[in-house]
Amino acid sequence: MAITETNILNRLYFVAGCMFVFALAVVFKLCSIQFIEGDLYRELAEKRTVKHFDIEPNRGNVYSVDGSLLATSIPKYDIRIDAIQAKQTVFDDYLPALADSLSAYKGKSASYYKDILRKARAKKNRYFLLARNISYSEYLRMRNFPLLNKGAIGGGLIVEQTTRREHPMGEIAARSIGYERIDENNYATRVGIDGAFGEKYLQGKKGKRLKQKIGNGQWKPIADFDQVEPKDGYDVYTTIDVNVQDIAHHSLLGQLEKYEAEHGCVVVMDVKTGEIRAISNLAKTSKGTYYEKLNYAVGESHEPGSTFKTIAMMAALEDKVIDTSTVIDTKNGRKMFYGRPINDSGKGHGKISAAKALEVSSNIGLATIVNDHYSKKPEKFLDRLSKWKLDQPLGVSIIGEGQPDIPRPGAENWSRNALPSMAYGYNLTMTPLQTLAFYNAIANDGELIKPRFIRAVKSFDKNIETFKKEVLVDKLCSDKTLNEIKDILKNIVIRGTGSRMYSETFSMAGKTGTARTDYANYEEWKKDKKYISSFAGYFPADNPKYSCIVVIHKPSTQVGYYGADVSGPVFKRIAQKIYTDTPLIDEVNKLDFDNILVEQDFENYFTNANNYKALMPSVVGMPAMDAIALLENLQVKVKVKLNGSGIIKTQSIIKHQKLKPNQTIILDAS
Amino acid sequence: MIASSHSADKKVHQIAKLTNEVKELRSAFVDGRSKLMQLKKESYMEVVMKEKNISISLNPPTKIRVKSSKED
Repeated sequence: MAITETNILNRLYFVAGCMFVFALAVVFKLCSIQFIEGDLYRELAEKRTVKHFDIEPNRGNVYSVDGSLLATSIPKYDIRIDAIQAKQTVFDDYLPALADSLSAYKGKSASYYKDILRKARAKKNRYFLLARNISYSEYLRMRNFPLLNKGAIGGGLIVEQTTRREHPMGEIAARSIGYERIDENNYATRVGIDGAFGEKYLQGKKGKRLKQKIGNGQWKPIADFDQVEPKDGYDVYTTIDVNVQDIAHHSLLGQLEKYEAEHGCVVVMDVKTGEIRAISNLAKTSKGTYYEKLNYAVGESHEPGSTFKTIAMMAALEDKVIDTSTVIDTKNGRKMFYGRPINDSGKGHGKISAAKALEVSSNIGLATIVNDHYSKKPEKFLDRLSKWKLDQPLGVSIIGEGQPDIPRPGAENWSRNALPSMAYGYNLTMTPLQTLAFYNAIANDGELIKPRFIRAVKSFDKNIETFKKEVLVDKLCSDKTLNEIKDILKNIVIRGTGSRMYSETFSMAGKTGTARTDYANYEEWKKDKKYISSFAGYFPADNPKYSCIVVIHKPSTQVGYYGADVSGPVFKRIAQKIYTDTPLIDEVNKLDFDNILVEQDFENYFTNANNYKALMPSVVGMPAMDAIALLENLQVKVKVKLNGSGIIKTQSIIKHQKLKPNQTIILDAS
Repeated sequence: MIASSHSADKKVHQIAKLTNEVKELRSAFVDGRSKLMQLKKESYMEVVMKEKNISISLNPPTKIRVKSSKED
């Protein structure tokens, strides 16, 4: 049997050996997991249960100059329903009531909502949209609708919350307040103030926090501090005045609607500081309503037309090639320049002074002045414009400023006709904001300031950065030229092209503009005439506070197209608003006036009141008012009957007589 | 150990709830504020007061400033 024993032993060794090798392999694998691949697995494990979370910072708010909110971030809600979550009986019971509520809320018929909800259930739609992007108060209302008030489990209500940027002012100045949108490819769209200052101030910095997974889809912070603290965005205080903005928006809207114009803009600027108080840009939709489409005031460079004449005139006056009384022959409304006619509206003005030419906005007048004195040396005129920085953008903070174009000899759009055309605002382009900045400089004693939209950046009450005015040109021209131009601008509203908007109560100064647009094909243009009507100026005419420009594109020519009629009223309304909002102040030195007579009367009254308690005093010679007061305040209740008014002449009871209660005293006065 | 861990978890849930509440209240605040701003706009007032035949004055108010008697 020894042989069998050996056999068994051999087998035993074999099995034991195999097990030993297996054990070795296990140990080896253990070690390799622990030490060789350990780091990898530990990292993987951590990833599953521990995660770095971004902590979104709060975006800063945008405020107006008086502290009203212009843009802020708030939660908005999307309401959806899981159409098959509710039991069939519950769904059937509440469906009509829910459809009624939805109909009352959104306006379509109840049967429509009943239908689409039934279809959603039939299609097993677990994510059916009921309302998108609604406010908190609307969300509260919807949450109480039948079926939805049963919550997620009973009714299938799904609420999704997102943070959205909101403009509490609504449409007003929407384009200038703006927004910043960053899509999934990190491509940013930046509009207006919110866009321009987003990256630098409003965004803030993301924080980081390490969190561990716990139940219920929630994550628990591991340490009691943030690995990286989030930094909330700063608040931006703009220069916009809500009240002026409101008036600007609505008066522009009114005129656009009245003249069925394509689009328009209005900007109000503080003369001394260059702060923009209001900026409104409205364009027509296909339905004929208006909305803030693009920032035309900042971005649209177009031929300014007659508002440029002021600038051309100022250049000529400053170069001393003319003075305001130089006589200009404007002929009978038509004059040829290098084979091309220039026309004036109406029958022409004949021989008039240079100042008058600007007052009546004569194209021929200005073209003649500029052509006569600069045609041999156009550079002189163009250099003047360059010195006034009209050929370069202002460099405002809002992104997308339009490029001005003032051609020079050699440029593609330069010809001999270019110079006389430029004199009355054609053959060159500028943005409305540029024109405004120039008129503002006239009002501001020649100091050209950069228009500014932002006043301060704050973090709660702490100033992070404040902005001061930026001077572009210290002095445009001599005080003499400045005063001459100011006089002409004042006279334009009193007796020139702006006389229709003259007001007796408050003063304005400025220049009208009526420019042709889209006239490349003249035959086409003649069939459907298109104009740009504008008004640029400042108010009050003496010691100006605000400058303002109004530009309205393509008003319906059947209603009207002159600058004074289309754009002027917007300007006037704003000027009037600011006039009526500023109290007139009267100063008086003191309120006390010494009046000897009154003083004596009072003394007399006072001694009588102290001496007579139950006896009749002598009231003859006293004012009736004092006499009655004296008698009625005696210790004895008496009745007083007064005949006439003024000074007491007689009294029915003689002096020092004792008075009885309820006795009637008759006083005669005259 | 386990008890305190659970209590920490509970706090986290509570914080999440409160954060939501803060957001909702903030939303309610802005909602109210935006309504107020619409209501106090001059252009809106003009329309409402027109029914009562009250319109915006064409003349500014006059302020009478009395120089204080301390000065003299």
